[in-house]
Parts: sequence; C-alpha cells; structure tokens
Amino acid sequence: MSRNQARELVSMFYAISEAIEAERGSLTRLDGVIGDADHGITMSTGFLAVNSALSKLDMENCTPSDVFFTAANAFLNAVGASTGPLYATAFLCAATAVRQHDCVDGRFLCSIFAAIAEGIRERGKGARGDKTMLDAWLPAAEAAHAAYERGASVDQIAREAAEAGAAGAAATRAMIASKGRAARLGERSLGHIDPGAASARIIIETIGVHFKKSIQQ
Amino acid sequence: MAKAVNGKGGTTQSIPLRYGDDPYVWACWLYYEDQLTQGEIAETMGISRATVNAYLAEARERGIVNITIDPERLSALTIAQELKRHFGLDDCLVIPSDGGAHPLIERLGTAGARVLNQTVRSADTIAVAWGRTVMAVAERARRGDLQDVSVIQATGGTTATFEYTPEACAACLSAALNARCVNLTAPALVSSAEVRDLLLQEPVVAGQLAALARANRLLFGISSLRPNSTIHTSGFFDSVATQLYLEKNAVGVIAGRFIDDHGRPVSGPLDERTIGITLDGFEGIETKIAVVGGIDKVAAILGALRGGYIDVLVTDAATGRGILKADGVAELDRKLAPQRGPEAGVVNVRSAVKKFVNKPVDVIEEMLDGIVHAHERYLRPIDGHRRALVAQRGPREGKVGLVIGGGSGHEPCFLGYVGKGMADAAAIGNIFSAPPPDPISQCAKAASGGKGVLFVYGNYTGDIMNFQMAADLAKAEGIEVRTVITTDDIASSPVEDREGRRGVAGNFFTFKIAGAACDRMWPLEACEAVTSKTNRRTYTVGVALEPCSLPQTRTHNFEIGPDEMEIGIGIHGEPGVARDRLRPADEVVDAVMDRIFSEMQAGSGDRVAVLVNSLGATPLMELYILYRRVRQRLEAKCIAVHASWTGHYCTSLDMAGASITVLHLDDQLAELLDHPCDTAFLSIK
Repeated sequence: MSRNQARELVSMFYAISEAIEAERGSLTRLDGVIGDADHGITMSTGFLAVNSALSKLDMENCTPSDVFFTAANAFLNAVGASTGPLYATAFLCAATAVRQHDCVDGRFLCSIFAAIAEGIRERGKGARGDKTMLDAWLPAAEAAHAAYERGASVDQIAREAAEAGAAGAAATRAMIASKGRAARLGERSLGHIDPGAASARIIIETIGVHFKKSIQQ
Repeated sequence: MAKAVNGKGGTTQSIPLRYGDDPYVWACWLYYEDQLTQGEIAETMGISRATVNAYLAEARERGIVNITIDPERLSALTIAQELKRHFGLDDCLVIPSDGGAHPLIERLGTAGARVLNQTVRSADTIAVAWGRTVMAVAERARRGDLQDVSVIQATGGTTATFEYTPEACAACLSAALNARCVNLTAPALVSSAEVRDLLLQEPVVAGQLAALARANRLLFGISSLRPNSTIHTSGFFDSVATQLYLEKNAVGVIAGRFIDDHGRPVSGPLDERTIGITLDGFEGIETKIAVVGGIDKVAAILGALRGGYIDVLVTDAATGRGILKADGVAELDRKLAPQRGPEAGVVNVRSAVKKFVNKPVDVIEEMLDGIVHAHERYLRPIDGHRRALVAQRGPREGKVGLVIGGGSGHEPCFLGYVGKGMADAAAIGNIFSAPPPDPISQCAKAASGGKGVLFVYGNYTGDIMNFQMAADLAKAEGIEVRTVITTDDIASSPVEDREGRRGVAGNFFTFKIAGAACDRMWPLEACEAVTSKTNRRTYTVGVALEPCSLPQTRTHNFEIGPDEMEIGIGIHGEPGVARDRLRPADEVVDAVMDRIFSEMQAGSGDRVAVLVNSLGATPLMELYILYRRVRQRLEAKCIAVHASWTGHYCTSLDMAGASITVLHLDDQLAELLDHPCDTAFLSIK
C-alpha cells in the first residue's frame, strides 16, 4: 500500500513542478512589484531540484515519508532564501504526518495540507494577515479539515481546499506586508497579491487536482 | 491694482511692449494679475467683451494660463470622488495629507465633526459606537440650534478606564449636539448567552434597544484585527476569543461585530454574549457615517465598504488611496499623476537588458568558478564546494572564526572580504537569496579555531532562517556560534524599529571591524560586542536611479520614471521606501546626510569613516561628485574623515545608484579599522 502512496507523491511533485513552471513568469512579475523579482525563479529552481532528487530514489523500497524527506532536503539546498527553510520545514512536517496513514484517502490529503501549513507557520513564526504564503495555506488546510469532518469526498475536499487557498491568496491584495522584504514597503505593498501566497495557491490547487485524478483512476 | 485707462472703444489699442504682440497674454494679464473685469478689459484693449471672453477661453486651452489646485488637495478630492463612485457611497470626505503636522486621529475628528454637523437635523436619533476616532469626532462636533435630537449608545457599556468608552462617547456627542442622551444600561459583553437573553427582556434595556432600532444616523469607527489595534489594546475582548474570529478570516470589527474581507458577518463565541447593535441592525439606518483612517485598517475598511455598512466615509488620503489600490482600481495612479505633455509618456523601452551570460541557469556556478581562480591567493572552496569559500590564511587555532554570507548579486560583497584580517569564510546563495544552511555550516566548521564562530549577516528573513539553522548544525558539532545581524539602512525603518532595518553597504565596515577583533585573538564575547557596536554606529542611505535586472529575466525588476529616483533603496532590486523627483547630486547628498545627521550623535571634533558605494552601474565619476559633497557637509560640522572608500563595495547587480555610509568612530573602532587586512577587495597594510 505505502509503495503506491510513495509513487503517488512523486508524481504529485512532478505535477507541482510543471504547474509552477507554467506560472514562472507571472510569479516573477508579481514579485517585481513588491519584492526582488525572483520568486518564480526560486520556486522553479526548488521544484526542479526536488524532481531530480526524487528521480534518484529507489521506488521499490521507498515510503511516503522518504519522499517528503528527500523533497525537503533537495528544496532547501537548491533554494536557500526564506522560501527554502519554509517549504523544507513544511515537507519535513508532512514526512512525519504521512507515517500514520496507509492509504491515499481524504484523511491522507487533509494531513498533508495540515502538516505543510503548520510547518510554514512554525518556521516563519507568521500569522494570518501578515501577507505571506500562510494566508493561502492556513485557510486551505482548515477548509480541507472541515470538509473531511463533514465526510466529504476526496474530490470535494480538494475543491474546497483549492477554493479557500485561492480566496486567501486574493485577500493578500488588501493586506500590508509585515514579514519579509515587502514589509519595508509599507503601504506600497497594498493592491498586490503576495507572490508567496500566489505560488501557494498553485501548489494547493495542483495537490488537489492530482489526488482527485489518482482516486478516480 | 493698476487700472489702465483709455477712451476709445471699437478700435484695437496698440499692445504695450511687454506683452509682445500677443493680445492673449495682454488679456490674461489684465484679467488674472490686474483683476479687471471683462468689461474693463474690453475697454482697455479696445475690443468687444465677447472677444475678451474668447481670448481668455482660448488662452486656457492653449496653455498660456494654467490654473492649478494645490496638488495635495486635488489628489484628496480625486480619491474621494473615486471612492464615492467605486463603492456607491452617498458621500465621501478625504482629508489631504498634511505631512504629519497633526495627529491623524485629530484631523479625522475635525473632518468627521464637519460631516456630522452638516448631516444632523432636528428630531434625528443618532446611534453612536465607541473608540478613539469616534471620541475625536464627538469632541469637535457642535450644533446647538437643533431640536429633539437623541444620541443613543449603539453598544452596551464597559467598566474599562480608557477615555473613549461607549458611555463617554455618547455623553460627549449628546452634549455637543444639545441632544438627549440615551445610554444602553447593559454591559457590552456579558458572561453567557443566558445572561444576555435575560437582560434583553428587562423592560429598561428592551426600551433602550427599541430606541436604538429607531436610529436614523449612525456614527462609528472601524477596528482592524492587526496587532496593536484598539480591539487588542482596549482589553474589550479577550484575546483567545479574538483569535477564534481571526481563524475564521475576520479582518475587522464594527460596533463590536466581526466581519470578513467581503463584509460578511463572522460568527464566533462572543456573538451570543454581545449586547448592542447587530449587523442586520445597520440596514435600517439611513445615514451610516464611518470615520476611520490608517493604512493598517485598509482590509477592515474594505470589508465594511463591500458589506454596505457605510454611506458616508471620512478618511485620509493615504488610507483612501490604499483602499482603492487594494480593491484593484488601476486608473487611480494615472488620475493622480501630474499631467504631462503628449511626448512625455513615450519612453524608449528596450525589450531585454544586454548581459554577458552563457546559460542563465549557470550564472552563479560560472561566476564562482571565475572567483575561485581570480582570487586563489585569498580564498578556496571548502571540500570542492564553491558556495562555501574559506580564507587561505584566515582560520587558525585559538582564533574566533568570522563567517559572513548572503545572496549573490552584491559582488564584491562577501567573497571580496574573505582573507587574513577580515572574514574567515563566506557562504554564497543564489541571486539575492540567502544561502541554505549546509554551506553556512561548512563555513562554520572551516572557520572554527576552537574558540567559537561569529556569524555576521544582513537583516533579512531568509538569511536569519538559514543562518539560524546552520548555527544549530554547528552547535551539534560542538562549535559555539554568536550572531550579529546588520541593520545599517536607516531609511528602511524608523528609529523606533531599529531591529527591523535592513543590512546594506554598511556591512563593509561591520565585517572589517569584526575581522580585526577576531584577528587580534579577542574572545568571542568581545568580538560580538564590538561588532554589534559597529553596527549600531553605522548609518547608510541608498538612492537608485535605474532598477536592476536579473540574468534569468533580463528585464528591469520595476520601473523608475524618467524624472524620478527611488530613495532608501535596498540592495536586492526591491523598490525603495519612497519615490522622489530626480534632483541634482548635491541635493541628493544633502537629503541623505540630513537623514544621517538626524540620527548620528556626532559632535565637532568627532571622527568618521565614509563609504560612497556604487549600486552597480553608477561610475566612479559620479561617486566622486557625491563624495565631494559628503566631505563638505562633514567639514561644515567639523567632523573629521578618518578614512574613506569610494567605489563598488556592495552592489545590486546592474542597478544605477549609490549609497552613502558613515561609520561614527570612537578610539577603539578607529584602531580596529586601521588593523591590517589582506583580501581581494580591501587591503590595509
């Protein structure tokens, strides 16, 4: 069972990398307005490194935990910056969380969302409203949890998480950055979606779509 | 007023020489400067009144006459019109920026009072919420000529000691309007839903609430849920409960009720325990006046506007602009921009910045390959890893190791200061990105001489996270690590928030002094203390003329207009703190030095070290022009320049611009600054 899960996760990371690659330019332009214009490049570099590390794993003897652990290290060492430690910690948390699950279901999906949100929150010491990626991840994780508690299908959980993540990312437009480099811009950060939240939206959506597909197959 | 007199009508008089041969200018002069009437002008010029009228109209069209309105007022008016249109408000008053001369709350109070004075009529019932801004309005309102006005408290009361409680606000406003004051004699927040239900049945309270339901005006403020907002500081709500609302995406509080960014009510544990106006109760009120300002409240105000809780908004220009920007009103900047001639908008846009690059993905590795060969006398990669560079003659037994580092793109920063007497090792990240923990901890190991390692790096979220993770790794290997985070960019944050400032070109001095202390075999605590002191006494302000471009994108990160410059620029291609009109070099230096002098407590006879640094593209010629003026300003204050450097020391790729750094020396710092060092970009014998 867990071997299937591991393969599932590897292909999920491929899908994320593809999605980020497609949005690379728009993320970078977004970052140019309030940051240093490299967010698209950073995210693309990070997930390409994750793919390359995952392709070297021996899938016959690999657990879901191993996949997240490998992704964490690869992402961290390729990226550095603030995004590196944040997503690395997120994936490490996910590595621990998925140990308790033995099949790809709604609970599994929920626990991944929750662990990533918690890891980012823990490492960045951030809160909702700071205009960061957390403004997408926290609502997504909460929406996934709420949907799961309601007994919703994987399909539904994925959709609600994606909607909450997208709404959260859009809401950063009205926020003033209080963390990271954009914090020094004060009111000039208003009116622009946080690039970190924008890339988080893409990842959340891709994870959802991927699990939806994999359950249907 | 000189009144020109002449007799004959009908024939055109000869134009006085000073107007050239232009009757339009003459007509305008008589009208606008001499303030004659059109009839008098007709007589003076010997033409018909209709012709005068036509001359004046055409003069305006041809731009002979420009009528200007104070730009601050004009922009406030534009913002107000836009807010009114965009959110369908009954009315909107935006107070112009006054450059911080008076506190915002007072100015909002005055503006809110003006609106209230105009709005209120005899027999009105005005519901009033509470808060600092509401109190400021109540204190300034005055209408004694009305009859049968009632002022009713919109929320229950409190025993809190602050001056703007619901009771105090209602009392103050009713006195100002000569109105009957109806207090809501129940607590705003009770201990349970049962208690609330019981209280609501009390005839006295029920009667007061019925009166509240009849209110036709409402005056209220808006609180955000950000830290430091009234909601937290007033102690009105307990923080646990507020947190629960925050988790449900609440962004603001109006009259004790929580709303989200679209103005939807957010339910939570306090709802059942709150006595006072409900969000539904807002609907029946004819005129809902919100008086609110502050950039941190933008999300909350936007929520209230979208939810339709506001008919009349009173705010300030910065907040108003923020609200419109946050709601994606794109035309605003164009409307607020000064009108230019048709050709001014045409800028020569180059599609891609030219660079010496092979493959963009390889830039860092190829640069590092070049560096380790170009500077092999000073440094080498650690175990073949070029992102961790160690000094050839730096680390030794018994010496504190100095590790510096950060993103690439600042060359010669970091690698150029690795060598004897300065840094023992440097960790290099991607462009403008902190290095990951691994190369940093390799540097710590290589730099360690058994007496601990000092990390010195700029104050950026990413650097802090990665260096902290590396410090944990080093600690696990038994290496003691101390850290000094540099914060010399005084433009990046006000003095009260020193810890929030960025580290920029002042790193040069901080690395130098730290390296000298380590080289003198000082113990770790002493090295840390003197480095920290250096950082505290280092002041930098940067100014950018043109943005930089990344090798991967080869486009400018942001745009700086043809007549603009960006003050308080950082070293990562991020926009600066404020946009200003481009000024002559001396004026730029003066603005920077004024800022530095306002913080640096240097008196006559003190010594400083100066660094005039190019951000990449600005040539030495311009740096020397800047340095010349820096020197004049220092000399005028009898401050001696102990040492100075002019050139590329901490850059931001190809950005055009410069930064000026002043290190306020004392005897100890001067001695350490003069201590010999030998690195690729700084050598002191």
